[in-house]
Amino acid sequence: MNQIISQEALLAQINEWITRGARVIGPTRIKPDLIHYATLDSPEEILLDGFLRPANSIKDFLFPRHEKLCTYRFKGKQIELDDVELSDTEQLIIGARPCDAAALPILDHIFNWDYKDHYFNHRRQTTTIVTVACKAHDEHCFCTSVGLGPDAPGGSDVVLIELDDGGFEVRCVTEKGKALFADKTTPSDKSGTVPPGPEKKIDPKTIEDFVKNNFESPFWQEHTPRCLGCGICSYTCPTCHCFDIVDEGNAAGGVRVRNWDACQCTMFTAHASGHNPRTKQPQRQRQRVSHKFHIYPQKFGQILCTGCGNCARNCPVGLGVLSVLKAIGHAAEGDTSEAAHAEHL
Amino acid sequence: MLDQLRQTCRRLLEEGTVRVVIGYGQDAAGKPAYPIFVTRPEAVDRLVWNDQCFANLTTYLTRKEIRALGKPAIVVKGCDERTLVVLEKESQIERGDVHVIGIACSGVGDPRLPKCEACDVHMPRFADEVIGQVPDEPVGPDSRYADLQALLQKSPAERMAYWSKEFARCIRCYACRQVCPLCYCERCIVDKNRPTCIDTSATLKGNFSWNITRAFHLAARCVGCDECTRACPAGIDLRLLNLSLAKSAEENYEFRAGMDREAEPVLGSYALQDNEDFIR
Repeated sequence: MNQIISQEALLAQINEWITRGARVIGPTRIKPDLIHYATLDSPEEILLDGFLRPANSIKDFLFPRHEKLCTYRFKGKQIELDDVELSDTEQLIIGARPCDAAALPILDHIFNWDYKDHYFNHRRQTTTIVTVACKAHDEHCFCTSVGLGPDAPGGSDVVLIELDDGGFEVRCVTEKGKALFADKTTPSDKSGTVPPGPEKKIDPKTIEDFVKNNFESPFWQEHTPRCLGCGICSYTCPTCHCFDIVDEGNAAGGVRVRNWDACQCTMFTAHASGHNPRTKQPQRQRQRVSHKFHIYPQKFGQILCTGCGNCARNCPVGLGVLSVLKAIGHAAEGDTSEAAHAEHL
Repeated sequence: MLDQLRQTCRRLLEEGTVRVVIGYGQDAAGKPAYPIFVTRPEAVDRLVWNDQCFANLTTYLTRKEIRALGKPAIVVKGCDERTLVVLEKESQIERGDVHVIGIACSGVGDPRLPKCEACDVHMPRFADEVIGQVPDEPVGPDSRYADLQALLQKSPAERMAYWSKEFARCIRCYACRQVCPLCYCERCIVDKNRPTCIDTSATLKGNFSWNITRAFHLAARCVGCDECTRACPAGIDLRLLNLSLAKSAEENYEFRAGMDREAEPVLGSYALQDNEDFIR
């Protein structure tokens, strides 16, 4: 027997969670043509159907764009430091996509590698992720190419599969998920169907081999000239996790903060000396692809990409990582035809 | 029109007038077009022209990676062409170093972008060659600033609430800056950290500082291509900030950036009859 929950019951449950003081986050319409994961004030705001995926990612709620690390005050020649109290408020992310949730186990590695990041880990503990399996995909989706799929459970505490009547089959993945839905579901022989995901578009092994052996290749210059060097791809990526640490304050004191940073920005690698080892945009594009498909897998055994396609959908010049990956595929096969060139440049 | 565009580009590349054509490519009809750099005559068939050609390609003219490709021909719409005028006035490009292919445009987007609804430069005016023909009608300031006017009707408190809600979504990706052809500073003020002038934090304070400072730096320079608004992944209507400054420039100095090749830049010139009411 499967466990199911009707859409009405789920919305009532969301209302109950909000009422009990939890921060409930879900896909919601910000503008007519913009859907974001955002904090919900009422269950009516959540979108459970009828869209591909939000334009941002859930990482903002675990590894926020801006985080206070500590405060400091100057007392004569002494500096007094104060820790920042982290909120214990329960966070529930409802209606995440599997390609967002899958990023969390990947990020666990980086935030617990040589240093256990208290801020990220604390939010991981206070957050429960309820994903809704995908029913559709577009030309930018490639989850199946990186070992995931429309109902991949990685990172989810619960996976919901939509039923024909608008309700959901409830698949609890973790104890946290079971606790959240305990006594909320009813047994049923109904089961949700998950359509096939996007066809496989790239082979990660080919990519890894190529970037390993083509550091100085003209490929990067030829295939990424239109990159403008903004942070959209990194900031809307579920897995990108680079940050900058700065002090903001005055002569009396201030706050040490951690802000998102992106390898596509010129300043990302600027040294205090003035030297910058990455002076050109193609070098930065190479870095992004290398980190995702070679450096991170080599270190942690996982690809730093969930194939969500956010980078491409948000890119103002239609670049994104997939078009570069496809071009690598052609280059690796030695296909230098006009068609191959035209397809992705 | 498309055939003529491709033939023109093929000729320019074949005869060696230019080394690269900066134009638009597209994966499929109806999908957003994107910038492409065509260096070989046989590749000109990749060029497209249609209502999905949003990008203001002039942003690439000041980039060293693109300059390294050699003399460019660039495809510009009438609105994008205004940028060339400003870039030239600000000594960022030599007009003779760029071959300008103007393209008649009746508006981009479906539905058309707001800027296109109040456009009076459907036809490029200073291009080396112009492809196509679209009638231009005069447009008054009333329709130019109509969307801004709606915001200005609100009380200061309501406007503050509006901008606070909008700027709260800013993630400081700087796409607005990177896509802007007139944000060509080698080191942006927000990237200066000795001392820090603008908080890099995506807080309301930092985001107000950043977005308003950027708008001020474009005062009487912004041509209203609205690329910042299109690029913004947070859906912030940055256009309204730019319109506000453009309105001031037009009202106080009868100046619209990039409209007149002879006009001196407002912030780069002084005239005795300049309005000085604001000095008290």
